Amino acid sequence: MTQLILGQLLNGIIVGSLYGIIALGVTLTFGITGIVNFALGQFMMIGAYATWHLTDITHLPYPVSVVLAVVIAGFTGFLTDRGLFQFTRNNLVNGLLVSIGLISVIESAALYLYTATPKNMDFVLPGSWTFGAITISRMKIVTFLVLLGVIGLTWLALANTWLGRATRAYAQNPEAAMLMGVNTGMLQVGVSVYSCALAGMGGALYAGIYSLEPSMGGLFILKGVEAAILAGVGNLAGALVGGVILGVTESIGSLFLPTAFRDAYGLVFLVAILLFRPSGLFGGQK
Amino acid sequence: MRAVLLLLPLYLVPLASKNEVLLAILIFTFILGILAVGFNIIFGYAGQLTMFHGAAFGIGGYGTYLALSKFGIPFWLALLPMFAGILALSLVVGWVCFKFRLREFYFAVVTMAFSELARLVVVNWNSVTNGTLGLLVLEKPTIWVPGSGIVKVDGTLGWYLLTLTSLVLATTVSQMLVRSWIGRNFAAIRLNEDLAQTLGINTFRYKLLAFTISNLLAAFAGALFGFYTNYIEPSQLSITQSLDAIAMVLLGGMGSALGPVVGSLLLTGLPHVIEFSAELRAATYGAILVLAILVMPRGIVGIFTRWRHVS
Repeated sequence: MTQLILGQLLNGIIVGSLYGIIALGVTLTFGITGIVNFALGQFMMIGAYATWHLTDITHLPYPVSVVLAVVIAGFTGFLTDRGLFQFTRNNLVNGLLVSIGLISVIESAALYLYTATPKNMDFVLPGSWTFGAITISRMKIVTFLVLLGVIGLTWLALANTWLGRATRAYAQNPEAAMLMGVNTGMLQVGVSVYSCALAGMGGALYAGIYSLEPSMGGLFILKGVEAAILAGVGNLAGALVGGVILGVTESIGSLFLPTAFRDAYGLVFLVAILLFRPSGLFGGQK
Repeated sequence: MRAVLLLLPLYLVPLASKNEVLLAILIFTFILGILAVGFNIIFGYAGQLTMFHGAAFGIGGYGTYLALSKFGIPFWLALLPMFAGILALSLVVGWVCFKFRLREFYFAVVTMAFSELARLVVVNWNSVTNGTLGLLVLEKPTIWVPGSGIVKVDGTLGWYLLTLTSLVLATTVSQMLVRSWIGRNFAAIRLNEDLAQTLGINTFRYKLLAFTISNLLAAFAGALFGFYTNYIEPSQLSITQSLDAIAMVLLGGMGSALGPVVGSLLLTGLPHVIEFSAELRAATYGAILVLAILVMPRGIVGIFTRWRHVS
């Protein structure tokens, strides 16, 4: 039993880190551009399909495909930002609607190109590691470490570099940041693209573990938003923790309670947190 | 109230065209229009971004059919226990959200969570809802027609008149509501909730009222939808359903009487009028939405009228 619990715990952490990477994108975009890009899940899907296509059809090595997939997702993000989201800055509702429209368009494109049949990538990193009584596949461990690294680096960069300081300053007071010489227009584009690239990377890693469907994005954006709120919007390191908490709640919950309600456990937890700590687990002000 | 008059010419459409497809598209437009009218009350007038109306829509379909088949009562009577259920559910969800002063984004996310919970219950309660397979609805609403007595509403023309009449009534009720003192209190809450509270408006109670009314209208639309399509399934409770209604209201112009109907016409009708494959249809839907929001951030009705809220 302990073994089962530990195994589920680890699984929860790994799925949770995928939620976390989306949550980081949600938090960043919301802090800087004032909208929630609900299409981030679809950027994850773009990253996943790009990786699958490049690895299994073009036969590139997996790491190269991951990098290319991130670039593709980031570039698509750039196009959507220039074409669409730059007109909905700080307008939550219009941003929401534009992203809903975008979801339809991207999903239809994926259905058209790759059909609804789930795609399974060949194992890129077969085998598993055994720690005592628990066995866990290598790919999952690598995925978790990469995501942890990316989120950690993002956090460090925001804390220590000039650009990071500019970003935080902008989130606090856009006008003051502008007066201090921050190129706010560029910053918004940059953050928007970065979030999409992060989601694309989540997708690229996801492709190495699970099977792909064009509709996979919807679930992840919901979990990402949940995780971001759970942690407190605007809290970067919290995004990962929020995602992991969500993932663990779900996998441990489905161990003791009916599996069918898997998605419900995270939601109940989220509602409980919001009711008693409206600013999220780690949220300070507001 | 002039707005409602503008809907009346739609009664003439069946005289001009017997095209079944056109009428069917309009029937869907009217049903989803009722859903949008309901959402417009809570969002367009009271300013609360709810995500729960999709769940209310789906539960409306399930509730009505289950009441009908369990008690063996006609459609219109079966609406009553369903409305009672929706009323109770709205009060509980609304009470939780508003008591804890959830606003804007947070309110949206918590109502979305409740909506998703409702969907999960419906999907997994196999003995009652038949799970993901959904339920086949073989009954039809009956209606009293002068001359021929009580008849089943069957066939496109009957449904056209029934749904159009329902939409006209829903629009009338919503207009009467928002033009009354209740509507003015809604507007006060939308424009400045703290100030409204200071002025002695019980914001909790009015938000709860707006939430409940919008869910009741959504549930009514859901019941019509289920009985028109003869099929009820869990995806009718999905978040997409909520988002569709939001899109219609914003596209049409929020806080206006005709906005929801115009939005519904454009988003439901247009992708079907042009002959497309399923994928292209979804893409067209998305493209219409994106372009319309970028070109007309205030919605279509917003272009023709000067920006004034009914207050």
